[in-house]
Amino acid sequence: MDALIPFTTSGSLVDLVDKKVLVVLRDGRKLIGVFRSYDQFANFLLEQCIERIHFKFEYADKDIGVLLVRGENVVALGEIDLIAEDMVPLQQVSWSQVEEKINEDNKRRERDHTIKDKVLGSMGFVNDGREGDAY
Amino acid sequence: MNIKIQDSTHSTRYIDIYITQRTFDASQLFIMLIFSFFKTLTDQVITVELKNDLSITGTLKSVDQFLNIRLDGISVEDPERHPHMLAVKNCFIRGSVVRYVRMAARSVDTTLLEDATRREAKEAKK
Amino acid sequence: MDDAANSGISEPLDLVKLSLGERVFIKLRGDRTVTGVLHAYDAHMNVVLSQVEETIHIVDVTEDGNPLPPRIEKRNLEMLFVRGDGVILISPTQQ
Repeated sequence: MDALIPFTTSGSLVDLVDKKVLVVLRDGRKLIGVFRSYDQFANFLLEQCIERIHFKFEYADKDIGVLLVRGENVVALGEIDLIAEDMVPLQQVSWSQVEEKINEDNKRRERDHTIKDKVLGSMGFVNDGREGDAY
Repeated sequence: MNIKIQDSTHSTRYIDIYITQRTFDASQLFIMLIFSFFKTLTDQVITVELKNDLSITGTLKSVDQFLNIRLDGISVEDPERHPHMLAVKNCFIRGSVVRYVRMAARSVDTTLLEDATRREAKEAKK
Repeated sequence: MDDAANSGISEPLDLVKLSLGERVFIKLRGDRTVTGVLHAYDAHMNVVLSQVEETIHIVDVTEDGNPLPPRIEKRNLEMLFVRGDGVILISPTQQ
Protein backbone atom coordinates (compact mmCIF):
# COMPACT_ATOMS: atom_id res chain seq x y z
CA MET A 1 0.00 0.00 0.00
CA ASP A 2 2.89 2.34 0.82
CA ALA A 3 4.00 2.19 -2.78
CA LEU A 4 0.70 3.71 -3.85
CA ILE A 5 0.78 6.73 -1.60
CA PRO A 6 3.29 8.83 -3.60
CA PHE A 7 0.89 8.67 -6.56
CA THR A 8 -0.86 11.99 -6.73
CA THR A 9 -3.22 13.37 -9.35
CA SER A 10 -2.50 15.99 -12.00
CA GLY A 11 0.20 17.93 -10.22
CA SER A 12 -1.47 20.36 -7.91
CA LEU A 13 -3.54 22.69 -10.01
CA VAL A 14 -5.91 23.60 -7.22
CA ASP A 15 -4.27 27.02 -6.73
CA LEU A 16 -5.01 27.92 -10.37
CA VAL A 17 -8.77 27.39 -10.07
CA ASP A 18 -10.75 30.60 -10.80
CA LYS A 19 -7.61 32.28 -12.22
CA LYS A 20 -7.22 33.68 -15.72
CA VAL A 21 -5.19 31.14 -17.64
CA LEU A 22 -3.68 30.47 -21.04
CA VAL A 23 -4.03 26.93 -22.43
CA VAL A 24 -1.80 25.86 -25.32
CA LEU A 25 -3.10 22.94 -27.40
CA ARG A 26 -1.19 20.41 -29.45
CA ASP A 27 -2.24 21.95 -32.76
CA GLY A 28 -0.74 25.26 -31.62
CA ARG A 29 -4.03 26.91 -30.66
CA LYS A 30 -4.03 29.27 -27.69
CA LEU A 31 -7.08 29.59 -25.46
CA ILE A 32 -7.55 32.15 -22.72
CA GLY A 33 -10.25 31.79 -20.09
CA VAL A 34 -11.13 31.39 -16.47
CA PHE A 35 -9.93 28.02 -15.14
CA ARG A 36 -12.89 26.41 -13.37
CA SER A 37 -12.18 22.70 -13.02
CA TYR A 38 -9.77 19.87 -13.89
CA ASP A 39 -9.16 16.17 -13.26
CA GLN A 40 -6.34 13.61 -13.21
CA PHE A 41 -6.21 13.41 -17.03
CA ALA A 42 -5.61 17.17 -17.24
CA ASN A 43 -9.06 17.66 -18.75
CA PHE A 44 -9.79 21.35 -18.22
CA LEU A 45 -13.00 23.33 -17.95
CA LEU A 46 -12.65 26.95 -19.10
CA GLU A 47 -15.23 29.69 -18.79
CA GLN A 48 -15.42 33.01 -20.71
CA CYS A 49 -13.04 31.47 -23.16
CA ILE A 50 -11.45 33.18 -26.15
CA GLU A 51 -9.18 31.85 -28.85
CA ARG A 52 -6.19 34.07 -29.55
CA ILE A 53 -4.02 34.04 -32.66
CA HIS A 54 -0.65 35.73 -32.88
CA PHE A 55 1.59 36.94 -35.64
CA LYS A 56 4.83 38.30 -34.21
CA PHE A 57 3.65 41.02 -31.83
CA GLU A 58 0.14 41.40 -33.24
CA TYR A 59 -2.81 39.38 -31.98
CA ALA A 60 -6.57 38.92 -32.42
CA ASP A 61 -9.28 37.32 -30.28
CA LYS A 62 -12.45 35.32 -30.94
CA ASP A 63 -15.12 34.54 -28.32
CA ILE A 64 -15.82 30.87 -27.67
CA GLY A 65 -17.68 30.69 -24.33
CA VAL A 66 -17.51 27.63 -22.10
CA LEU A 67 -15.09 24.92 -23.14
CA LEU A 68 -14.14 21.45 -21.90
CA VAL A 69 -10.68 20.62 -23.21
CA ARG A 70 -9.74 16.94 -23.39
CA GLY A 71 -6.45 16.38 -21.58
CA GLU A 72 -4.56 14.60 -24.35
CA ASN A 73 -4.73 17.78 -26.46
CA VAL A 74 -3.19 19.97 -23.79
CA VAL A 75 0.43 21.11 -24.06
CA ALA A 76 0.58 23.60 -21.19
CA LEU A 77 -1.51 25.67 -18.86
CA GLY A 78 -0.16 28.99 -17.64
CA GLU A 79 -1.49 31.46 -15.15
CA ILE A 80 -1.70 34.93 -16.68
CA ASP A 81 -0.11 37.57 -14.52
CA LEU A 82 -2.64 40.41 -14.67
CA ILE A 83 -0.04 43.09 -14.06
CA ALA A 84 2.41 41.72 -16.61
CA GLU A 85 -0.43 41.35 -19.10
CA ASP A 86 -0.92 45.12 -19.23
CA MET A 87 2.78 45.74 -19.88
CA VAL A 88 3.22 43.23 -22.68
CA PRO A 89 4.10 45.01 -25.95
CA LEU A 90 1.40 43.27 -27.99
CA GLN A 91 -0.98 45.08 -30.31
CA GLN A 92 -4.54 43.97 -31.00
CA VAL A 93 -5.66 44.03 -34.63
CA SER A 94 -8.57 42.46 -36.51
CA TRP A 95 -8.90 38.67 -36.77
CA SER A 96 -8.76 38.61 -40.57
CA GLN A 97 -5.61 40.71 -40.58
CA VAL A 98 -3.70 38.25 -38.40
CA GLU A 99 -5.24 35.21 -40.10
CA GLU A 100 -4.08 36.41 -43.50
CA LYS A 101 -0.48 36.80 -42.35
CA ILE A 102 -0.51 33.41 -40.63
CA ASN A 103 -1.87 31.67 -43.72
CA GLU A 104 0.82 33.19 -45.90
CA ASP A 105 3.48 32.11 -43.42
CA ASN A 106 2.03 28.60 -43.22
CA LYS A 107 2.04 28.16 -46.97
CA ARG A 108 5.78 28.83 -47.10
CA ARG A 109 6.41 26.61 -44.07
CA GLU A 110 4.34 23.77 -45.51
CA ARG A 111 6.33 23.87 -48.73
CA ASP A 112 9.69 23.97 -46.93
CA HIS A 113 8.60 21.13 -44.65
CA THR A 114 7.76 18.85 -47.59
CA ILE A 115 11.13 19.55 -49.19
CA LYS A 116 12.95 19.03 -45.89
CA ASP A 117 11.19 15.70 -45.28
CA LYS A 118 12.29 14.44 -48.68
CA VAL A 119 15.95 15.26 -48.04
CA LEU A 120 16.12 14.00 -44.43
CA GLY A 121 13.93 11.00 -45.24
CA SER A 122 16.60 9.81 -47.67
CA MET A 123 19.13 10.06 -44.82
CA GLY A 124 17.12 7.71 -42.60
CA PHE A 125 15.21 10.16 -40.48
CA VAL A 126 11.60 9.60 -39.55
CA ASN A 127 9.06 11.84 -41.20
CA ASP A 128 7.69 13.75 -38.25
CA GLY A 129 4.63 15.35 -39.78
CA ARG A 130 3.42 18.83 -38.90
CA GLU A 131 2.88 20.70 -35.67
CA GLY A 132 0.80 18.57 -33.38
CA ASP A 133 1.93 15.29 -34.93
CA ALA A 134 5.21 15.35 -33.02
CA TYR A 135 3.39 14.59 -29.79
CA MET B 1 -3.44 -15.89 -12.99
CA ASN B 2 -5.20 -18.02 -10.47
CA ILE B 3 -8.31 -16.43 -9.00
CA LYS B 4 -9.92 -18.38 -6.20
CA ILE B 5 -12.65 -16.87 -4.14
CA GLN B 6 -12.65 -19.30 -1.31
CA ASP B 7 -11.83 -16.83 1.38
CA SER B 8 -14.35 -14.07 1.75
CA THR B 9 -12.43 -11.88 4.18
CA HIS B 10 -11.49 -8.60 2.61
CA SER B 11 -7.95 -8.45 3.87
CA THR B 12 -6.89 -11.75 2.35
CA ARG B 13 -8.43 -10.92 -0.99
CA TYR B 14 -6.85 -7.49 -1.01
CA ILE B 15 -3.40 -8.93 -0.41
CA ASP B 16 -3.94 -11.50 -3.17
CA ILE B 17 -4.85 -8.84 -5.64
CA TYR B 18 -2.00 -6.63 -4.55
CA ILE B 19 0.58 -9.36 -4.97
CA THR B 20 -0.85 -10.37 -8.33
CA GLN B 21 -0.63 -6.82 -9.54
CA ARG B 22 2.90 -6.46 -8.32
CA THR B 23 4.08 -9.51 -10.26
CA PHE B 24 1.83 -8.90 -13.21
CA ASP B 25 2.73 -5.28 -13.73
CA ALA B 26 6.29 -5.13 -12.53
CA SER B 27 6.97 -2.02 -14.57
CA GLN B 28 4.76 -0.16 -12.12
CA LEU B 29 7.68 -0.15 -9.74
CA PHE B 30 10.03 0.95 -12.48
CA ILE B 31 7.92 4.02 -13.21
CA MET B 32 8.72 5.30 -9.75
CA LEU B 33 12.41 5.76 -10.56
CA ILE B 34 12.15 8.75 -12.89
CA PHE B 35 9.28 10.19 -10.85
CA SER B 36 11.48 10.03 -7.71
CA PHE B 37 14.36 11.50 -9.66
CA PHE B 38 12.25 14.53 -10.57
CA LYS B 39 11.10 14.91 -6.99
CA THR B 40 14.74 15.33 -5.95
CA LEU B 41 14.92 18.27 -8.38
CA THR B 42 12.10 20.16 -6.64
CA ASP B 43 12.98 23.86 -6.06
CA GLN B 44 15.84 23.68 -8.59
CA VAL B 45 15.89 25.74 -11.76
CA ILE B 46 15.34 23.52 -14.80
CA THR B 47 14.61 24.06 -18.48
CA VAL B 48 11.81 22.05 -20.05
CA GLU B 49 12.02 21.70 -23.81
CA LEU B 50 8.70 20.77 -25.42
CA LYS B 51 8.11 18.84 -28.62
CA ASN B 52 6.92 22.08 -30.28
CA ASP B 53 10.43 23.54 -29.67
CA LEU B 54 9.23 25.88 -26.90
CA SER B 55 11.79 25.97 -24.05
CA ILE B 56 10.61 27.12 -20.65
CA THR B 57 13.00 27.81 -17.78
CA GLY B 58 11.70 28.01 -14.23
CA THR B 59 11.81 26.65 -10.72
CA LEU B 60 10.39 23.13 -10.43
CA LYS B 61 7.45 23.33 -8.05
CA SER B 62 5.93 19.88 -8.37
CA VAL B 63 5.81 16.75 -10.48
CA ASP B 64 3.38 13.82 -10.57
CA GLN B 65 3.45 10.20 -11.75
CA PHE B 66 2.73 11.20 -15.37
CA LEU B 67 5.74 13.52 -15.15
CA ASN B 68 3.44 16.51 -15.49
CA ILE B 69 5.48 19.49 -14.31
CA ARG B 70 4.67 22.72 -12.47
CA LEU B 71 7.14 25.57 -13.02
CA ASP B 72 7.29 28.89 -11.21
CA GLY B 73 8.91 32.16 -12.26
CA ILE B 74 9.17 31.10 -15.86
CA SER B 75 10.97 32.64 -18.80
CA VAL B 76 10.81 31.53 -22.41
CA GLU B 77 13.67 31.22 -24.88
CA ASP B 78 12.94 33.15 -28.04
CA PRO B 79 9.88 35.13 -26.86
CA GLU B 80 9.38 36.56 -30.35
CA ARG B 81 8.33 33.11 -31.57
CA HIS B 82 6.12 32.58 -28.51
CA PRO B 83 4.58 36.00 -27.72
CA HIS B 84 1.62 34.39 -25.91
CA MET B 85 3.92 33.34 -23.07
CA LEU B 86 4.99 36.91 -22.20
CA ALA B 87 2.33 37.44 -19.51
CA VAL B 88 2.59 33.93 -18.07
CA LYS B 89 4.55 33.68 -14.85
CA ASN B 90 3.92 30.11 -13.74
CA CYS B 91 2.73 27.10 -15.65
CA PHE B 92 1.69 23.46 -15.76
CA ILE B 93 3.21 21.33 -18.51
CA ARG B 94 1.62 18.03 -19.51
CA GLY B 95 4.23 15.27 -19.21
CA SER B 96 3.46 13.78 -22.61
CA VAL B 97 4.56 16.91 -24.52
CA VAL B 98 8.04 17.09 -22.99
CA ARG B 99 11.03 16.32 -25.21
CA TYR B 100 13.88 17.12 -22.80
CA VAL B 101 14.43 18.46 -19.33
CA ARG B 102 17.79 20.19 -18.91
CA MET B 103 19.33 20.71 -15.48
CA ALA B 104 22.61 21.55 -13.78
CA ALA B 105 24.99 18.61 -13.34
CA ARG B 106 25.49 19.47 -9.67
CA SER B 107 21.81 18.89 -8.90
CA VAL B 108 22.17 15.18 -9.72
CA ASP B 109 24.03 12.49 -7.77
CA THR B 110 24.87 10.21 -10.69
CA THR B 111 26.26 7.33 -8.61
CA LEU B 112 23.12 7.19 -6.52
CA LEU B 113 20.98 7.36 -9.63
CA GLU B 114 22.80 4.48 -11.33
CA ASP B 115 22.51 2.33 -8.21
CA ALA B 116 18.80 3.06 -7.97
CA THR B 117 18.34 2.18 -11.65
CA ARG B 118 20.11 -1.18 -11.21
CA ARG B 119 18.02 -1.91 -8.14
CA GLU B 120 14.75 -1.03 -9.81
CA ALA B 121 15.65 -3.03 -12.93
CA LYS B 122 16.33 -6.06 -10.74
CA GLU B 123 13.10 -5.60 -8.79
CA ALA B 124 11.07 -5.23 -11.96
CA LYS B 125 12.30 -8.60 -13.21
CA LYS B 126 11.12 -10.57 -10.17
CA MET C 1 19.47 -20.20 -22.04
CA ASP C 2 20.98 -20.90 -18.63
CA ASP C 3 23.91 -18.66 -19.37
CA ALA C 4 21.60 -15.89 -20.32
CA ALA C 5 19.64 -16.33 -17.11
CA ASN C 6 22.80 -16.34 -15.00
CA SER C 7 24.17 -13.17 -16.47
CA GLY C 8 20.73 -11.60 -15.98
CA ILE C 9 20.26 -10.92 -19.68
CA SER C 10 16.85 -11.90 -20.94
CA GLU C 11 15.17 -8.84 -22.42
CA PRO C 12 16.07 -5.93 -24.70
CA LEU C 13 16.42 -3.35 -21.95
CA ASP C 14 19.18 -5.43 -20.36
CA LEU C 15 21.46 -4.06 -23.07
CA VAL C 16 20.66 -0.62 -21.75
CA LYS C 17 21.37 -1.78 -18.20
CA LEU C 18 24.85 -2.90 -19.24
CA SER C 19 25.46 0.62 -20.55
CA LEU C 20 24.84 2.35 -17.22
CA GLY C 21 27.75 4.67 -16.56
CA GLU C 22 28.87 4.37 -20.19
CA ARG C 23 28.49 6.67 -23.16
CA VAL C 24 25.51 5.80 -25.35
CA PHE C 25 24.18 7.00 -28.69
CA ILE C 26 20.45 7.70 -28.93
CA LYS C 27 18.50 8.43 -32.08
CA LEU C 28 15.39 10.52 -31.49
CA ARG C 29 12.35 11.76 -33.34
CA GLY C 30 12.60 15.25 -34.77
CA ASP C 31 15.85 14.71 -36.75
CA ARG C 32 17.94 14.57 -33.58
CA THR C 33 20.61 12.37 -32.12
CA VAL C 34 22.29 12.61 -28.74
CA THR C 35 25.29 11.00 -27.11
CA GLY C 36 25.89 11.10 -23.40
CA VAL C 37 26.82 9.10 -20.30
CA LEU C 38 23.80 7.03 -19.22
CA HIS C 39 22.81 7.33 -15.57
CA ALA C 40 19.19 6.14 -15.46
CA TYR C 41 16.50 4.58 -17.63
CA ASP C 42 13.09 3.01 -17.15
CA ALA C 43 10.66 0.75 -18.98
CA HIS C 44 9.44 3.66 -21.14
CA MET C 45 13.02 4.34 -22.27
CA ASN C 46 13.02 7.61 -20.40
CA VAL C 47 16.73 8.24 -19.84
CA VAL C 48 18.98 10.58 -17.87
CA LEU C 49 22.31 11.48 -19.49
CA SER C 50 25.25 13.68 -18.61
CA GLN C 51 27.98 15.30 -20.76
CA VAL C 52 25.49 15.36 -23.59
CA GLU C 53 26.14 16.36 -27.16
CA GLU C 54 22.95 16.85 -29.14
CA THR C 55 23.00 16.95 -32.94
CA ILE C 56 20.10 18.40 -34.92
CA HIS C 57 19.91 17.84 -38.67
CA ILE C 58 18.52 20.82 -40.52
CA VAL C 59 17.63 21.40 -44.17
CA ASP C 60 17.20 25.05 -45.16
CA VAL C 61 15.10 25.85 -48.18
CA THR C 62 15.81 28.80 -50.48
CA GLU C 63 13.20 31.38 -51.55
CA ASP C 64 12.55 29.56 -54.82
CA GLY C 65 12.05 26.20 -53.09
CA ASN C 66 15.39 24.45 -53.49
CA PRO C 67 16.88 22.52 -50.54
CA LEU C 68 20.36 23.53 -49.39
CA PRO C 69 22.69 20.69 -48.38
CA PRO C 70 21.75 19.36 -44.90
CA ARG C 71 23.62 21.04 -42.07
CA ILE C 72 23.96 20.04 -38.45
CA GLU C 73 23.64 22.08 -35.32
CA LYS C 74 25.36 20.85 -32.18
CA ARG C 75 24.61 21.67 -28.57
CA ASN C 76 26.38 20.61 -25.38
CA LEU C 77 24.33 20.08 -22.23
CA GLU C 78 25.68 19.00 -18.87
CA MET C 79 22.67 17.01 -17.65
CA LEU C 80 19.63 15.98 -19.64
CA PHE C 81 16.44 13.97 -19.16
CA VAL C 82 15.09 12.57 -22.44
CA ARG C 83 11.45 11.44 -22.53
CA GLY C 84 11.09 7.85 -23.74
CA ASP C 85 8.40 8.42 -26.35
CA GLY C 86 10.89 10.31 -28.54
CA VAL C 87 13.48 7.53 -28.51
CA ILE C 88 13.97 5.53 -31.70
CA LEU C 89 17.06 3.55 -30.72
CA ILE C 90 19.70 3.30 -28.02
CA SER C 91 23.15 1.98 -28.82
CA PRO C 92 26.37 1.63 -26.84
CA THR C 93 29.00 3.80 -28.51
CA GLN C 94 32.18 2.21 -29.74
CA GLN C 95 35.08 3.61 -27.77
